[in-house]
Order: sequence, then C-alpha cells, then structure tokens
Amino acid sequence: MNMKRTLTVVLAVVGLAASVSFAQTKPAEKPVVNPAPTAKDWADIGKLPDWSGVWNPNITDQDKQHVTNPPPWNAKAAARIQFQQAELKAGRPTPLFVNCLPEGHPSWMMISHNALEFLITPGRVTMLGESDGGRLRRVYTDGRGHPPDPDPTFHGHSIGKWEGNVLVIDTIAVLPQVYIAPSEAHGIPNGGDMHTQERIWVEKDVMHVYMKITAPHVLTKPYETTRYYFRQRARKFDIVEGVCSEGYFAPRLDKDGFHVFVPQPHDVGGNRIPPK
Amino acid sequence: MKSSLNKVVRIAALLGLVASAYPVAAHHATTMFDHAKVVTINGVVKEVHWTNPHVGIYVDVAGKDGAEAALWVIEMTSPGNLVRAGGWTRNSVKPGDKVEISMAPLRDGKKGGALKKVTIADSGKVLTADIRAQERANLEQEAPAK
Repeated sequence: MNMKRTLTVVLAVVGLAASVSFAQTKPAEKPVVNPAPTAKDWADIGKLPDWSGVWNPNITDQDKQHVTNPPPWNAKAAARIQFQQAELKAGRPTPLFVNCLPEGHPSWMMISHNALEFLITPGRVTMLGESDGGRLRRVYTDGRGHPPDPDPTFHGHSIGKWEGNVLVIDTIAVLPQVYIAPSEAHGIPNGGDMHTQERIWVEKDVMHVYMKITAPHVLTKPYETTRYYFRQRARKFDIVEGVCSEGYFAPRLDKDGFHVFVPQPHDVGGNRIPPK
Repeated sequence: MKSSLNKVVRIAALLGLVASAYPVAAHHATTMFDHAKVVTINGVVKEVHWTNPHVGIYVDVAGKDGAEAALWVIEMTSPGNLVRAGGWTRNSVKPGDKVEISMAPLRDGKKGGALKKVTIADSGKVLTADIRAQERANLEQEAPAK
C-alpha cells in the first residue's frame, strides 16, 4: 500500500514537472506561408515573356551534340560510356529509360523526344512534359532559397528568377540515381551533389535552354550545353496525357466483360515481345 | 520463313545510319532493330495499342508457300508524336485493316520491327512516323487572313 502511494506521489511530481517544462517551451516559430497572389501579381505575369504554346525538341541537334559535345566524364564514367557505346553498336542498347521512371533532371531537358509546356503563375514556373507521367518541374520564382536539406527527387529542388527575358534556374537535390544522359542509350547516374544552373530564353519561337551541370562524382568539370525547342501553336500539337507504364499492359475484357489492363510482356530493350 | 512474306528482306541503302536517326522510340535507343534491312509484310491488323511510350500494331500474316502464319508486332513512337509528325489518329489503323508494313526488323529474328511505313490497302493511305519532321517552329499555322 505504501509503495502504491509512493508511486502515485512520484508520478504526480513527474507530471507537474513535465507540465511546467512544457509551459516554458519556446513557442513554435510561425509557419512560412505562400501568400495568396494579388491582382498585381497576376498583372505582372503579363509583363513576362510569352512562353505559351507547346515546345518540341530539336532531336537532330541532340544527336549531333551526343557526338560533338559530350560531357567531360571522369575515367570511371567514361569507361561505362565506352561500354554502352559498344553495346549500342552490337544492337544491345543499354535500357536506361525502359522502366518508366522519369528521365529526371537534366536528362529530360537534354534528350527528350517529347514536347513540353510552361505554366507561368505568380511566384512559380511549372514545366510539364509528355510521355512519362512524372515529367514535371516546379521552379519557384518567389524569392525563396533552397531548403537546407531537401529530399532528393527526380527533378530536384529548383529556384528561379527572371533577368529580363531570361529565366535563370538553380537546381539541387536530384536523386543520385538519376542519369546524366547524352542519349537514350548512354548515361551515368549523377551520383549525388549535382548542381545545375540554367538560363532559358526564346528567340524567334525557338527556346534556348542553356545548362551548366556540375556533378563532382562523375564529371571532371562542369558540362555546358544548350538545347533547343520549337514553339508550336497548331492545336494538333497540344500535349496529351502520356502514362508511360500503360505501354506495359494490353487492354482486355475480363471474364465478366469488364475492361481491364493485363500485363504485356516486353523484352529487356523495352519492346513488346512478338508472340511465338 | 522468308517465303511467308510477300516481299523478302532486302538490304536497303541505309547502311551506316545510326540508330538515333530513327524515330521509333521515345524511351530507348533502337539498335535492337536492324536498320540496315527492310522487311515488308502484308497482313491484317489484329490490334492497335495506342499507348505511351510506344504505339504497337499487331498484324496477322497468313502462311504462304508452306510457311507458318505468324503474328507480328510493329513498334513506333508515342501517340503524341504520331499525331504531330505523322498525321495519325488513334483510328488511322484499325483492327481488320489490310495493310502493307515496311519495318526495320528485330535483330534477334523474332517477328517484330520498327515501323517505317504503313499502307492501308483499302484507302491507299500511307503513314510514316518521322518525328524529326517537327523540327521547326509554327508548323501548320495558317497564314493570317488578308
């Protein structure tokens, strides 16, 4: 009985101490909020360059730069690229992107064969791409900096600012597994700690995307390249939904007549396997 | 087996071209297809998979001269790119259509390839899939009315 009373007293004291301690805790910092845009914010959008329309890549130039402007790989990466080149010539292209994970940054901007579009809203530029469902970049232009320890993602954390007609983007926190890919069959995982700086502008309906890619684990020095996209306004160019993994299924009816997807076998190269 | 094809494999004047010069795939290189060759088949479309990242057409090719009938799979680029660059719709090629298709065949000998051209027998319509045909701005915009 005495022990029970003693325990009760001890718990009461501990509880009191805890409540006093809680009361003395520093109040939580006021959360950072994204303010609602004002009419002026929206009006200011009209002063920015017109990037409307759909932009399709200059694939011929991509192919050309694969030969004329290769990234400055370090020895280990260069050996892998050499192997991939041999595989390509042998008819076994390395299947870098057949798993339908996003091409990621900066490969999307470097080698996409698909169109993209831009949404410019107060404090932000959003880049939307076609073909794989995760092809999306959010570029914050509201003056914020990078978070101190952002979660790595396929497209990283991007902040931007407008310098006249040029959008300047700074990106960090790209997953180390994401490729720096000069072609669909050549690519090296960036290895982490990658930093990219971009300058994007439009001249005569051609978008110029200059990139400076710093990737200390795989490059000996920053890689600089400019990629090009053509503006289209014809409605047939409007971007349509593109779910990459849909191609890994075939539409069928189940035993009850419901429409379903069933897995479709593919080979290692990403092609449907012809029936025997 | 070659005799089962209405036209046999022939070496095209495409030797030396690199895989990246072909518009088949949005997500992978295409050297698994032998771009130095052209295979032409005549058959009846069984299915069209109008899907990303690659559209696929299944074609039944009848047996001929003792050769077995076979189902072929022809791959091409994405729906979006086909609409823009090739003038396709998802109904351009339909199940039941009689078609002639030329392709770069799979190197492993399986019955598949990367589409170069399809001709629909009934209409005579010809469709290709050259995504590099898009490489300039403001395609197909109408001239301003005067």
